[in-house]
Amino acid sequence: MSNGFYAKDNYTVYALVLVFLAALALGLKEVDIGTARQEAGWINFALGGTLLAAFVIAKLVCRIGLPMLSGYLFAGILAGPFVSGFLSMESVERFKLIDELALSIIALAAGAELHLGAMKTRARAIISNIVLITVLVFAAVSLFVAASGSLFNVTADFSSSQLAAFAILIGVISVARSPSSTIAVINECRAAGPFTETVLSVTMVTDILIIIMFTIALSMSRHLVFAGSGMQWHAIGALGAEIAVSMAVGVALGKAVSLYIRHIRHDFLIFLIFMAFAVSRASMGFNEFMEEYARVSLHLEPLLICMSAGFFIRNFTPEYSDFLDGLGRVAMPVYVLFFSLAGAALNFHSLLLCWPLALALVLVRAAGLFGGSWVAGKISKIPPSHHYFAWMTYLTQAGVAIGLARLAMREFPEIGIHLNTVVLAVIAVNQVIGPVLFKAALHGVGEVGQSRH
Amino acid sequence: MKVFFAFFLVMVAAFGGYHLSFRRITGRGKVAWVHLTGLEFLVLGLLLGPGFFNILNESTLRSLEPFSALALGWIGLLAGFQFEAVQIRRFPPAFFAAGLVESGVTTLVSFCCLYPVLPLFVQMPGAMHLVTTLALSAAAGCTAQSVLGLMFLSYAGTGMSALRLLRYIGSLDGLLPMALLVLIFFTRPGPLSINPLDILVLLAAALAVIFMVYMFFLTRRRDTDELALVVIGMTVLTSGAASLIGFSPLLANFFIGICLVNLTREKEKIFQLLVSIEKPVYLVLLIFLGAGWHLPGFSMAVPAVVYWLVRMLGKITGGLAAAGSLPALRGYPRLLGLGLMEQGGLAVAILFDFQQRFAAPEVSYVVGFALTAIVLAQLASPYCVHLLLKRSD
Repeated sequence: MSNGFYAKDNYTVYALVLVFLAALALGLKEVDIGTARQEAGWINFALGGTLLAAFVIAKLVCRIGLPMLSGYLFAGILAGPFVSGFLSMESVERFKLIDELALSIIALAAGAELHLGAMKTRARAIISNIVLITVLVFAAVSLFVAASGSLFNVTADFSSSQLAAFAILIGVISVARSPSSTIAVINECRAAGPFTETVLSVTMVTDILIIIMFTIALSMSRHLVFAGSGMQWHAIGALGAEIAVSMAVGVALGKAVSLYIRHIRHDFLIFLIFMAFAVSRASMGFNEFMEEYARVSLHLEPLLICMSAGFFIRNFTPEYSDFLDGLGRVAMPVYVLFFSLAGAALNFHSLLLCWPLALALVLVRAAGLFGGSWVAGKISKIPPSHHYFAWMTYLTQAGVAIGLARLAMREFPEIGIHLNTVVLAVIAVNQVIGPVLFKAALHGVGEVGQSRH
Repeated sequence: MKVFFAFFLVMVAAFGGYHLSFRRITGRGKVAWVHLTGLEFLVLGLLLGPGFFNILNESTLRSLEPFSALALGWIGLLAGFQFEAVQIRRFPPAFFAAGLVESGVTTLVSFCCLYPVLPLFVQMPGAMHLVTTLALSAAAGCTAQSVLGLMFLSYAGTGMSALRLLRYIGSLDGLLPMALLVLIFFTRPGPLSINPLDILVLLAAALAVIFMVYMFFLTRRRDTDELALVVIGMTVLTSGAASLIGFSPLLANFFIGICLVNLTREKEKIFQLLVSIEKPVYLVLLIFLGAGWHLPGFSMAVPAVVYWLVRMLGKITGGLAAAGSLPALRGYPRLLGLGLMEQGGLAVAILFDFQQRFAAPEVSYVVGFALTAIVLAQLASPYCVHLLLKRSD
């Protein structure tokens, strides 16, 4: 195109955008904030600026081969409370609404990526990966913490039972992955193929499995920390019911979406956003109601509901193509918002406090992932390149791990506070390096750009 | 939880309501005119507000500020897009002058009538009295075009050229009211610690930088997803910067809109994007405004009727002045003002912006009766346009 109207990205222009945005932010930061309207103005300015900076940084990091997701995260980290402070922790908390909305949409996309036919043909690889990675990561991390607890200042003062509980809980949390990051990197790379499908299936199934494992771990830790407290097997039964009900609700929701596409069709995008939002909030409302009024511990899992809905539409309805189109159109703004806010919320303060233990855990976890996926690859006889690269796709960690650490903190305040700090620090490292290695792995197995969607 | 629930309700009502009320409006006869008033959304806002269910209360509205900033900025940007020099030049210069004369006279008449009358209904300190009268006059100067647009689709009489002129005037007569809004934000009684000169300098610098950033983004053709992200991000950023400086998000985006429509190649794509959710965004503003609305009892009805009558007088005088003073308008009906009675869109955005900036119970009361008057104007406007067209036939 002539007159400076480019058909391709001009990276100098993106760099200039960043410079101008930074100059504007620095200039406006000098303004005294005296009224509520000005305060709201600053939050809006910071949100808009972060969104645009995330988009621009993503374009720039793409140039050097990194995934766009890393760009969104870096922008969030730069704008967040631990670097420039343009987005305060309170502001990040205020945008939780966007966060939950985005997470529901990502879960829908995650479910829709699971193709039953493909899963059946790779059942051996998927099951062996799930079992071996789960066992090896849990064992490696738990044993490492139990054996070296006295060497780190965070765990040095724990009693032996506290250290055992800490090791079990952190072992389980280490198994957790980030389905949202997985989906985002796969979508961005338009990756498809046996390797991608296996990774996706393993990540999604593990996401369900981790909830069950964590409930068992909580029960065991309770037994260790509060001597005399017996194992609460009924909790595991209740959990089974929760998962079954959540999946059933997801299937009903999937059917509703398919009917909407078939009979109404217009404003599907809006419908999708509202539906994601409604699921998220309705589940929370239902959970609170069941706890407070019915005194029944039956919780609905919004992520599981959305994943089941996406899975149902993808595999059991003819409307999946329209559904995937609709998801594709909201994907970009959702990813930019979700991951830039996630970047802003990454806790580097925790990393500073316990970086030796955090870095050691990152390495041990990575070793567990490598060992598990390598052995699983050997057993299921997949191409050698696949089992060399697989571990790199399982590194990312985010929301699920944070949620579990918070639950543990509520249950065991004494060890939980340290657990939460260590988990946040590990996540900060994994979330920065995870997407980069994930993209490299997809390139390594040659599945980038193979998707038709 | 309340914030999430409120957000959910507002969005479902705005988008669902847009589909039910606006998309199926043709062929509904007179019921359509009631839908065009947006009355049901004001009432919904009222029901959600502190007077009834208390879902949209002050703190909830504060938490939903990014959305209201986006909505206000969106309307401002769209209003700016009406002023594309190439489009304006397609019509005779007299048409443009007619728009300026009509809105100028309407605003002046409204100001002269409302300034002495306002203290009869609400007591305010001197500067606030002046600023409120200016805001009401600015809102009075604006014309909405839904009724004219619908008439344009169905009308086939000899008054078609008059209808075309009215639509043209209606699309441009927001210019002077927006200029008046600038004056309001620089008069600005209130707690803001920045002096007006600093605001001017900061604002000019900020808008220049924001416009440059826009231009950088638009140096290449973008697909719809990227463009939507850029426009949403820039609108929230511009609105935020304006509020932070103590200026109007509506106006800041309005200026950016004028620059964009005249200086970028992506204007058509951006315009389509803005128009695609214009109505739901407008409904969001109505719901937010409705939350601060009072039931139109006697204390509200009298000033509302007075405001409505004053604006009517202003529009008729403005129309007469335009038709009488511009020779190129000789063949057109002299009572042009009858066709410009509809008041919504930009006027609602001006009132919302004003209420946000000068939050006080007196301001809520004034905005409340002005909204009631807008509903009256919306209801009366189809009959006024019919009357005008009948005279043209």
